[in-house]
Amino acid sequence: MPEPSPTLSRRILGAARSALNALAVPALAVFTALVVGAIIMKVVGGDPLLAYLGLWQGAFGSVKALSETCVWASPYIFAGLAVALAFKGGLFNIGAEGQLQVGAVTAAWIGYALPDVLHTSLPAVIHLPLAILGGSLAGAIWGGIPGWLKARTGAHEVINTIMMNYIAVLMAGYLLNGPMRNPDPLNLSARTPSIALSARVPRIFANPDLRVHWGVVLALVIAVAIWWLLYKTTIGFEIRTVGTNPDAAKYAGISVTRAIVLSMALSGLLAGLAGTIEVVGLNYRHELGFSTGYGFDAITVALLGKTNPFGVVLAAFLLGAMRNGATRMQFLTQVPTDIVSVIQALILLFVAADAIVRFIFRLRAPKEKMVLTRGWS
Amino acid sequence: MRKSLFPVFALLVVVSMVLVACGGGAAPAPTTAPAAPAFRVGLVTDVGKIDDKSFNQTAWEGVQQAQKELGVTEIKYIETTDSKDYGKNIAQFGDAGYDVIVTVGFNLTEDTWTAAKKYPKVKFIGVDQFLSKDDKHAEWPLANLVGVVFDEDKAGYLAGALAASVSKSGTIGSVLGTDAVPPVWRYGEGYRAGAKSINPNINVLVTYHNDVGFDKTFTDPEWGKTTGLSMIDKGADVLFGAGGKTGNGALLAAAEKGVYCIGVDTDQYYTVPEAQKAMISSAMKLETPSVFAMIKSAKDGTWKGGLYTGPTGLAPFHDLDSKVPADVKAKLQTIDKGLKDGSVKTNVPPVKPQ
Amino acid sequence: MSWPRFGFIILTVGAIIGAAVVIGQAQLPWLLIITTMIRTTLQVATPLTLGALSGVWCERAGVVNIAIEGMMLLAAFFGFIAAIYTNQAITGGVLTPTGSAISLAVGVTAAVLTGGLAGLFHAFLSVTQRVNQIISGTVINILAIGLTGYLNRQLFFQGQVPHAPGVLPTLHIPVLADIPTVGKIFEQQPIAISAILLVVITHFVLFYTPWGLRTRAVGEHPRAVDTVGINVYKMRYANVIIGGLIAGLAGAYFTIESVPSFEPLMTNGRGFISLAAMIFGGWSPFGAWAASLVFGSAQALQINAQGFGLPVPSQFVGMLPYILTMLALTGIVGKTLPPVADGVPYEKTGD
Repeated sequence: MPEPSPTLSRRILGAARSALNALAVPALAVFTALVVGAIIMKVVGGDPLLAYLGLWQGAFGSVKALSETCVWASPYIFAGLAVALAFKGGLFNIGAEGQLQVGAVTAAWIGYALPDVLHTSLPAVIHLPLAILGGSLAGAIWGGIPGWLKARTGAHEVINTIMMNYIAVLMAGYLLNGPMRNPDPLNLSARTPSIALSARVPRIFANPDLRVHWGVVLALVIAVAIWWLLYKTTIGFEIRTVGTNPDAAKYAGISVTRAIVLSMALSGLLAGLAGTIEVVGLNYRHELGFSTGYGFDAITVALLGKTNPFGVVLAAFLLGAMRNGATRMQFLTQVPTDIVSVIQALILLFVAADAIVRFIFRLRAPKEKMVLTRGWS
Repeated sequence: MRKSLFPVFALLVVVSMVLVACGGGAAPAPTTAPAAPAFRVGLVTDVGKIDDKSFNQTAWEGVQQAQKELGVTEIKYIETTDSKDYGKNIAQFGDAGYDVIVTVGFNLTEDTWTAAKKYPKVKFIGVDQFLSKDDKHAEWPLANLVGVVFDEDKAGYLAGALAASVSKSGTIGSVLGTDAVPPVWRYGEGYRAGAKSINPNINVLVTYHNDVGFDKTFTDPEWGKTTGLSMIDKGADVLFGAGGKTGNGALLAAAEKGVYCIGVDTDQYYTVPEAQKAMISSAMKLETPSVFAMIKSAKDGTWKGGLYTGPTGLAPFHDLDSKVPADVKAKLQTIDKGLKDGSVKTNVPPVKPQ
Repeated sequence: MSWPRFGFIILTVGAIIGAAVVIGQAQLPWLLIITTMIRTTLQVATPLTLGALSGVWCERAGVVNIAIEGMMLLAAFFGFIAAIYTNQAITGGVLTPTGSAISLAVGVTAAVLTGGLAGLFHAFLSVTQRVNQIISGTVINILAIGLTGYLNRQLFFQGQVPHAPGVLPTLHIPVLADIPTVGKIFEQQPIAISAILLVVITHFVLFYTPWGLRTRAVGEHPRAVDTVGINVYKMRYANVIIGGLIAGLAGAYFTIESVPSFEPLMTNGRGFISLAAMIFGGWSPFGAWAASLVFGSAQALQINAQGFGLPVPSQFVGMLPYILTMLALTGIVGKTLPPVADGVPYEKTGD
């Protein structure tokens, strides 16, 4: 007797269950990390419950808090997508930090200097997209270079992207304190002049207290675009095949060189977008003193989201919420904000070594392991 | 699968409900003594940490002193981790109705100005924040905002004069943070000018730690020490360490090799005891007493908005007092007087020119 | 590791020092410049050499270790804590010669052991759990940064900071150190000297002892070695722990030999540069040492350049070590090959 086709309710249940399964390990990793973080805080003499209350309030406790969480999440979505995309291609992009910097510097320059250079003011429909394009391109180049080096010489992208991070930060240091510095005599900081109004992303709400801007919507759109790219296009197929099995890809006629360079360039483009969106959507300029943690945060976001674009979005909001809430946490308890970094590291640990979480919560192992990246060869 | 997951998710749901219940409730009320009215002071740092043994920490110590001696009921700090958070961090204190907010560093100048206009009942102390009347700041001076600034170049000038006077080799050195931070650059250039005023032929080695990012430039004692040692190799017999913990490394190098050193910002005889035997003085800008004085004026009603120039000067010679000849001491006194009354000029611009 | 390659690398060091002479000879005698550069190079190359050796031990056995940076940082922190609290316990916080000597020795030991523990953790994740080795290395790095940053703040701010017992003394090598001017090269501190000794020891053990033979076999053909009855897992664990111990010594350099204080992120990328040195040096001890000297001399040039009045913005001079690293990795001096089974988790068939 043939089986009756599954009813709609069964299908929904099935989908819900697989979604829950997929979320299980990441969610439990976060939970376990928070518990261990609380233990650490308690041992060294803090108040974990008050601290987490502060974290929660700071991230979700008011409309303004929610707005700030979205503000923090925007660059994380882009940077997380960048690292996730590279992983899909079998590459480890630790260079989000540097790619983000060059993206920000380029976007800022287009934002404040281009009208002067061209001796004309630019309408917003041209100026803003140009800035975004410029920042993305800069990031793509910065990511593409290690990619090309890997494809042609086999030099591992882990070390090269880290080196390019340092080079980018130094370059930015030179530019922001030199040629690109705001010449206003009252300006003592290493920052660019403010970018033109025509290069700014509009805010979503009229209330000046709510800084959330349309960039977060762009981030969500790009996340969908990346999903589509990876799973619905030939390029995405090539990238993913080279990522899981480069030998098979070669036999299938896929150019491994092209796939590697493309993966890293696209990855760099996304990271460049992260920096760009901060300049054109939030700060309206670029300055030294950019927090140097985006690179590792992006790795955590990518792995927590299981390198799936939608997972990355969720993870980005989570991490953004934590970073945002840390301020209120410090306000209430004077706990050093580093604890967020510890918790983040623990999350990463529990996600990477998911056997630990599976053991604690008695979960069965998945059928196939996620292949992320390989050794030096 | 369902069986083993259920208890786990039940636990998660319960925990989240508890969190929501807590979060939905009111924020914990600050404890205030029922008798005395609450007087609360908050501090927002620049990107960096509160324990940087430099700008941020010395300002915080002023706040702590205010709590001890003036009966300030509550003091709190927030460390900025990203420059986009300046406004948000200040607002934490502003929205909570604090009486005084101290913001440390020139990078917060604009955000402090905006906040001062937004919270007119709160008094703002902006350390190292110079403002004057111009197009963007037509309302200056604001009644509730005071910028505390220092003439670091004058302190550096004195240090340079001292170094040149006691140097026997004709080469002196200075190890600094980054020249992108104007107070630090002024220290360095003041040092150079002061040394040349005593001995125009003196060889002044000035090295800025520009090769790292902002997060490292003041917290790299290892680089400071290595650079100091290499300067000593080149014959420098006085080292000026001006760059938070990076500069402290140079002080240690001097102590190790038996040459003189000069500290910065505070009397480092007390903060770097390992270098005491080599420390001839420090070029001080008295941030802690200045912040304390401002908070005091806020509390006792003598507050005035605008600009306050804090005191700068040389620290005592301590253990090496006998090594400084009397005529050098006299010369330094004369220079100091001249700097104060304007007859001696350092000719150091406020910011490094492009 | 071919001797022509070794020679080429040493020539590069010579070129960098030569550049320093050219830049600075207007102000200082050339012999003084060379001496300063060599002395500084040997000093700053210490953590790079040790880090690279750590990498050699791990990777020759087939385990990729990019956690050297994190291991150094953890060792620097916990070694520092051990030193100052030992001093506190012995002398009550005052500086005395014996108190300091004991405390520093305890500090170095603690640092080395911390590195070993970190190595054990990395081995557990990589060998037993078979987590992707680059991921597990990154996890250790991030954990190290967060943990040391947080603990550093919790323990040292707002409290009485126990007095640090100074740093390791500078040793004068007899006879050589007495040579005028050039003798300064032979005034080095213990860990710097140990680094060079460890290069020789590693070379000897790796290529002239049964242990070394087994290690290299495990890194090249683990399955063949397994059939002969050698425990691949145990060998890998042992070598990664040794690598961790050496990385721990590198960490001790920062807080026990260089400056008596801990700063967050004080390793500043040197763990990664030592990885590049290892690759550039062809996974061999002497090669790694030579490569470390290249990067060390670039750093020495940067330290001295401003003093010489180099008209190039210092940020660009600061980029030199990183650009050199990238150039080195392109195999411009010829490609080197890692051990065949490097980075591949081993699974006994039939498990």
